[in-house]
Amino acid sequence: MGKNNTRDEAEPSVPDDGTSRRNFLKGAAVGAGVVGTGATAGVLALNNEDTGESAKAIPASEGYLLVDPAKCTGCTSCMIACSTAHEGKASHSLARIQITQNPFEGFPNDINQEQCRQCTYAACVEACPTGALEADPENGNVRMVDEDKCVGCQRCLEACPYTPHRNTWNHEREYAMKCDLCADTPHWDQEGGPDGSQACVEVCPVGAIQFTDEIPTQYDDEGYKVNLRDEQWEQLGLYAGDI
Amino acid sequence: MKGHMGTILRLDLTNREISTIDTSEYEEWVGGHGMGSAIFFDLVDDKSVGAFSEENVITMMSTPLAGTLAPAASSRTEVQGISPQPYPTEWFTRSNFGGRFSAMMKYAGYDGVVIEGKAEEPVWVNVVDDEVSFEDASNLWGLGTWETQEEIWSQIGTSGWMATESPRDTGETTQKPAIATIGPAGEAEIRFGSIQHDAGNSAGNAGFGSVLGFKNLKAISFLGTGSIEMANPSDTIEARLWAEENYAYGEDEDIPLGGFWGFGSTPGSGDLDGFPTGKARAQGCVGCHKNCRKRYADSVGNESQCVEAVFYNSFDQAAHGGITKESAKAADITNQMGINAYSLSNGIPYLETLHERGILGPDGEIEADLPWNMLGESEFVEALVEKIINRDGIGEDLAEGFPRAAEKWGRFEEDIADGTLGFQYWGYPHHYDARTEVEWGYGSILGARDINEHDFNWPMYWQPTLMYLGGADPLIDAETLAEYTMEATPPHNVKPDYSDENIYSEDMAELVSWHRSYTRFWKQSVQYCDWAYTDFVNPNTEDMSGLTPEGEPRIFNAVTGADFSFEDGIELGNRIWNLDRAIWTLQGRHRDQEEFAEYTYGVTSKSGIPSSGVVGPHYMPVRKDGEWTYEDVSDRTIDKEKFNEWKTIYYELENWDPETGWPTRDALEAHDLGYVADELEAHGKLPQEA
Repeated sequence: MGKNNTRDEAEPSVPDDGTSRRNFLKGAAVGAGVVGTGATAGVLALNNEDTGESAKAIPASEGYLLVDPAKCTGCTSCMIACSTAHEGKASHSLARIQITQNPFEGFPNDINQEQCRQCTYAACVEACPTGALEADPENGNVRMVDEDKCVGCQRCLEACPYTPHRNTWNHEREYAMKCDLCADTPHWDQEGGPDGSQACVEVCPVGAIQFTDEIPTQYDDEGYKVNLRDEQWEQLGLYAGDI
Repeated sequence: MKGHMGTILRLDLTNREISTIDTSEYEEWVGGHGMGSAIFFDLVDDKSVGAFSEENVITMMSTPLAGTLAPAASSRTEVQGISPQPYPTEWFTRSNFGGRFSAMMKYAGYDGVVIEGKAEEPVWVNVVDDEVSFEDASNLWGLGTWETQEEIWSQIGTSGWMATESPRDTGETTQKPAIATIGPAGEAEIRFGSIQHDAGNSAGNAGFGSVLGFKNLKAISFLGTGSIEMANPSDTIEARLWAEENYAYGEDEDIPLGGFWGFGSTPGSGDLDGFPTGKARAQGCVGCHKNCRKRYADSVGNESQCVEAVFYNSFDQAAHGGITKESAKAADITNQMGINAYSLSNGIPYLETLHERGILGPDGEIEADLPWNMLGESEFVEALVEKIINRDGIGEDLAEGFPRAAEKWGRFEEDIADGTLGFQYWGYPHHYDARTEVEWGYGSILGARDINEHDFNWPMYWQPTLMYLGGADPLIDAETLAEYTMEATPPHNVKPDYSDENIYSEDMAELVSWHRSYTRFWKQSVQYCDWAYTDFVNPNTEDMSGLTPEGEPRIFNAVTGADFSFEDGIELGNRIWNLDRAIWTLQGRHRDQEEFAEYTYGVTSKSGIPSSGVVGPHYMPVRKDGEWTYEDVSDRTIDKEKFNEWKTIYYELENWDPETGWPTRDALEAHDLGYVADELEAHGKLPQEA
């Protein structure tokens, strides 16, 4: 099941009539049809001020995650917390935040900490043909995937401009996932979303992830990758300066 | 039991056959050591075979908690089999390492791996989810442990999440394959070759790397995209947050006074200030809240901690007037060559002592060509390790381990009597001292190796000793410490009285019995990390009480759905301890062998041992005239006769035969181990009923 995600592959058709994901994936496997218009009516094209690219205007999220890759310890607790809260399972592959590392590299190049950004111009939202991935007004406009609407075309993953892509293909349940700031965590009994708690922020033992309601600079890493190390970090013999 | 993946991988190297065992067959043992011992017992017909034998089976077992959020319990791998390191007998024993291996093994779908037989040619094993294959390792043979891992990554690390061209339908991962490998030391089958994973995770003591070398298994690699089901995910997260918020270092608070061990110690403290820091981060095993290790700007010394971080310090300091990068380079040599740093930690001082006395050297009675002018430089370690691995000159003797080398040189009796040869129990390097921290020594000699379990070591020894040495009062008074310890050690409720009188008492037998049981289950089977548990004393709580015994079952039950009490774990730990005892009995164990190195009885710990840095006062809790206090107990030896009387007390407490030290049928059947008693009986090893 599923499809081979080569970018130059013939694009599958996406029915706009509520076709189930399983049926869609079966259709995709034989590569039938042409691209549909999807279910996202009322799309308005705007220019991204930073990039100049045309993109879909959607309301800004009321929350964002900032990370400090120089503080991150590579324990991947955030990844496991994410998959546990959302999927009820412990996994690296079902996490919406990704820590990559090479134990033989020198600091700070040994670890990358890559979180989903709640982009103001969200390529993943724009790419979703069924309206499964939209800003959710009930949850502070967090960009969320409606599992029931997701047909599994994986275009959102391919559209994500970052490496690794920040939305995640759930190969067990065959739908796309992305960070929702824990707005929908059926396996964690705490209120999440922009006004609540985020499992990764709570669990990170060194405070290398921080929630903010201010829109970070979107253009590069600067807005999202910040220095969360303080004087105490330095007292521990760990590097607190700018990288 | 939730937390299990349901499958144990079984590798027959002789026939290159891959099969599986249903985890459910061994579920009663939970995981880790319990499962490993039970599998070893079932698969090895003749337990008396040598370490370097095709019949020897190595198990590498995970735990239901591995890969989850269980704090400091999500990343350990327990390794077992017959070890080549102990002297004079190659006992069945254990080792353990952290990192990512155990979690990745589970994400690939396996609770453990069982390694049998011996390959004709060097192989490595490649596991990507449910695809398992033997691979030719001829291009890896001879490589260091880091090079080996990088080479394997280059071969199989190109698929997955980071490569957008790959299929996603079997899952993606951004993680590198987790690899356990041996280095040139293991290939050379020296007696103290380690198993290495990532930069600084080693199963060192026990020499299992050399058993893998004998088996021609260079490495085993796991890459998994799967997931672990938990009984109650929300409770698991909440248990983690409860532990972190109440007992771990809070980064918004003042850095607490306190130690480097225990649940509440601070990030990056695992190198014990053994390296100059510079720009560095803290780094941790999967799911850990502590993050003991460091990675450095120049990557030298990455992830090294504990013994490998400090074993060369004193020489470095003597040569340079302070600790330099030479210590970190020395650590890297041990990690990359896959050699047990602990053996070198006492072995180098031993060689130096003999050299200074003119016994060892180009013109000495022991011919040796070592670059003593380089002592303190990493080049000295490099030269020594090279000689051992190549069995060049003195390396031929040292490859057999320092005790066996001393025996060959005719020096063993003399050097072990005065402590020049600092290998206190079963030929393992002197670590914590049986003369002062008796539970460490007793546990080691009743078992099969240096126990390396810091449960009592941190609160009873380091906590008061470090504070007194710093001119301050201990973190908590002796009476409170004793009270916390008694409360935290059900059902034995042990009294940590380390006075001269009490160390041979029934109290101490109860303490040792509790400790053997606690560690066999909670620490080595469930695999709560030794550097975080037990937690009798915690500097982050208002009253400095720790999370033991509440934390262990709370986290465990949330993941597994079991209804284990702390005491249930102690009981199962005692069952595992009895099974191990039966295996040792079948290997030829007798109470008469359970004797410490001679210096333990003849030289006080105050004098230290010439070849070890373990000197100085040992302030420990004692009860005098009904009052608890701390006292320096370093000015003592173990009384041989009293120790032997204590052994009888201990055996009787465990319902073992006092004449032989063998477990009785009653003891085994009480633990539902009648089949084990039958095997002892078949070998004439079952004690006769009185």
